[in-house]
Amino acid sequence: MTVAASTEAGGSAKARRGEARRIAVLTGPAYLWLAVTVFLPISAMLYFSLLSEAPIAGRVGQFTLENYQAFFDKAFYQSLMLRSLRLGAEVSFYCFLFGFPCALVLAKVVKGRWREAMFLLVIIPFWSNALVRIFSWTMVLRGNGILEQFLNAVIPGFGGLDLMFTYPAIVIGLVHSYLPYMILTCYISLQAIDDDLIEAARSLGASRWTILTRILLPLSMPGIVAGAVLIFVPVIGSFMEPRILGGRNGTFIGTVIEDQFTAVFNWPLGAALSFILLGCVLIIFAAFHPILRRAAR
Amino acid sequence: MRRRIGLATLGRVYLALVLMFLYIPILVMAVMSFNASQFYTLPIDWSLRWYEALSGNSKLLNAGFNSIVVAVVTTAIASTLGTAAAIAFFRYEFRGKQVLQLLLFPPIAIPWLITGTAMLLFFFWAGIGRGLHAMVLGHVALALPYVIIVVSARLKAFDPDLEAAARSLGASPAQVVRHVTFPFIAPGFIAAALFAFAVSFDQFVISYFLAVPGVSTLPVEIYTAIRKGFTPEINAISTIVIVFSMTLLVGVARYYRFGGER
Amino acid sequence: MASVSVRDVSKLFGSFKALDDISIEFADGGFYGLLGPSGSGKTTLLRLIAGFDFPDSGEIEIGGEPVGALPAEKRDIGMMFQSYALFPNMSVFDNVAFGLMVRNTARAEIARRVGEALELVRLTGLDDRKPHQLSGGQRQRVALARAIVFHPRVLLLDEPLSALDKALRVGMQVELKRIQREIGITTIFVTHDQEEALTLSDRIGVLRDGRLVQEGAPKEIYDRPESAFAATFLGDANLFRGRANGDGVVLADGSRMRTADAPGKTGEEVVCAVRPERIEVVPADGPADGEGNKLDATVSEAIFAGNSMTYLASWQNQTVKVIAQNRGAEPFEAGARVRLVWRPADTVVVTP
Repeated sequence: MTVAASTEAGGSAKARRGEARRIAVLTGPAYLWLAVTVFLPISAMLYFSLLSEAPIAGRVGQFTLENYQAFFDKAFYQSLMLRSLRLGAEVSFYCFLFGFPCALVLAKVVKGRWREAMFLLVIIPFWSNALVRIFSWTMVLRGNGILEQFLNAVIPGFGGLDLMFTYPAIVIGLVHSYLPYMILTCYISLQAIDDDLIEAARSLGASRWTILTRILLPLSMPGIVAGAVLIFVPVIGSFMEPRILGGRNGTFIGTVIEDQFTAVFNWPLGAALSFILLGCVLIIFAAFHPILRRAAR
Repeated sequence: MRRRIGLATLGRVYLALVLMFLYIPILVMAVMSFNASQFYTLPIDWSLRWYEALSGNSKLLNAGFNSIVVAVVTTAIASTLGTAAAIAFFRYEFRGKQVLQLLLFPPIAIPWLITGTAMLLFFFWAGIGRGLHAMVLGHVALALPYVIIVVSARLKAFDPDLEAAARSLGASPAQVVRHVTFPFIAPGFIAAALFAFAVSFDQFVISYFLAVPGVSTLPVEIYTAIRKGFTPEINAISTIVIVFSMTLLVGVARYYRFGGER
Repeated sequence: MASVSVRDVSKLFGSFKALDDISIEFADGGFYGLLGPSGSGKTTLLRLIAGFDFPDSGEIEIGGEPVGALPAEKRDIGMMFQSYALFPNMSVFDNVAFGLMVRNTARAEIARRVGEALELVRLTGLDDRKPHQLSGGQRQRVALARAIVFHPRVLLLDEPLSALDKALRVGMQVELKRIQREIGITTIFVTHDQEEALTLSDRIGVLRDGRLVQEGAPKEIYDRPESAFAATFLGDANLFRGRANGDGVVLADGSRMRTADAPGKTGEEVVCAVRPERIEVVPADGPADGEGNKLDATVSEAIFAGNSMTYLASWQNQTVKVIAQNRGAEPFEAGARVRLVWRPADTVVVTP
């Protein structure tokens, strides 16, 4: 068999080059796509945020920091940011409060094929159409909606209950959307806790409460934090849920940014506000990075 | 002994309650879509009238068609590109691999509001414009990380010696993929494809910013209709959409054993 | 069938030198074992010969032709993996036929050759089974059949018997040797198990830290290890340290030991190795035998192992291991004072 390849001593350098080419062919297209559709746009947005006006339709913008300045000058934006952060924290908290026990039951109580089925049931709504789900809540929460009718049936003379266009409605809708996420991350963490650990604790005389607070919660902390961070971030940027469920009461930083792009057409301001939001997101990720890395393992 | 059983049962009851919380609004919406009464008055007057009205609502139907077209194209592109990248990560160790894997996170970790507005801004500026083609660009970007993650998870169970064995037997790289790698990946590939389809079909935010008046996808159209005022046809199409996407996801689950079982 | 030639090959992973200027000649048709602890470079060398990786310097030739940067799929080798790596989605027949299939062999020819290969490994009749329906031993035979069916030039085996349990292993050792002799293919295998190396190989190469420490027929290396490492890695050995003196060695306590070969310059520090089974244990107050080497020791432990007795005897703060065949004699008990005797011919001078 003739050897067409070079007979240079070794040959590993040539092989490495061939391998590098194959890697480039396999990963190139995907990452090129991401570069053009995600990384470049975000860079462009950074650029826009530093201009006085959007450089489209022949207009020329000038370098300025006034868009960022606007955030620090106007108390309105800052209070809105705080309101959004508060919303994020609340939703994350409720998701933890209601989701953790659920994950605990799934991980430790439900066994076998039931577990897989239950898990699926919990996860599927999360991945289905978010808009439709929020829309379904409008039917439940509105005046004369299902919730009101149900409560009236159970507690006679309950009266009217119109939760639409209130802050609680937004929280309910968001918790409903993101609860499965927290259940998922907590489940993964809890499942990794060896049952033997709990048995050992019980044999040493620990009460149920002690086991929960001293063993389960600390060991599942990576999962809890991962869930909280991954819920917090999208929530603070949400605008669809606040608008549909909150109406005029649903003004958050997300809705204001959206306005800049669809109604007010002040793209540089929208870009700047987006970056401030992105900054918050990165700070949160950086702060929780060590715990998140543990969760990823 | 009794107390322990009690706690477990309580747990199960709680789980059932959470599941009810998750599904009841959807069930309500679905049931009401069959209620002829326009304002939800009970008792339910069973009827298909809103579905019939839907068949005449060209706006919603066109939007639905657009959604499907965009999703099909997105799935084709994202599955191919993502699977190729996943195979590369599985097979090779190289400098920068960790960086590349990290770069998968921004599209899913950054709030879609930011990604969506950035895309709008950039596409407009770069001359790509808005519309269905722009949506495909955006949807593929969103679906790619998920495809890579799903296929990579399947590859974790793949014995790396299998590819080496095929090579030792004389198979070219293409033959290795065709006879050994792909047959094994297939379930993961199907799961990833269904997932990409679901992500695209249900995508709202990116589609919202990249939509053009008259050319949009179903979620965007539903949103506009809700903001304008409620018509029960939204109920009908929403029920169809949610049933469809949930079916897709059951398909994903069937092909992707969560937790690596099998 | 072809010979394999490895010349001055080095391989680095970052700063770790996996192979250090190593040269070995693998004779055509031979059964060659690469033996060494983990990290010795034996698996790396196998992969370099196979073509899954390439040397940083040096040359590898198969059949007299340098392989350079030729990838594995073009080297016409057959390889058997430690995990067998049978294609799970294919039947036994399709697995074995794979090498022929990618070489565009005609269907009839494939059927004939696969039948022959399965017969050779004694697995006829299992054509339609899938790997998960086979036992460990059967899977191994399929892996072997698959690797040889297309008559490669060289057969490479990665820890071929490590995944089998003890009972199967012995049977498989015999099978492997038989098959190799029948088809006469140059076979190179890698193992950390010295027993496997001893039973299978025509020649053994002992590797350590990327270097070839000793090479030769199994009996040669076993009876005449050149280094303390070779002595203790291939079998057990008792090591005695002392200074050269004429035709023997003087130990720390003054006692003298005659060695098989000249120990070197007088006064030089020397290490001797003695195999446990070459030492005889006799009562301390028995007749003094003038010829052999002897040490007075105390039995610290006596371990009964069925067909043999292992004595651990302490002498001068050193534990000497002795293996005595069970011939029905009354065993010595712990605490007994004994004399250890053995022939000078069994006292091998080794590098430390």
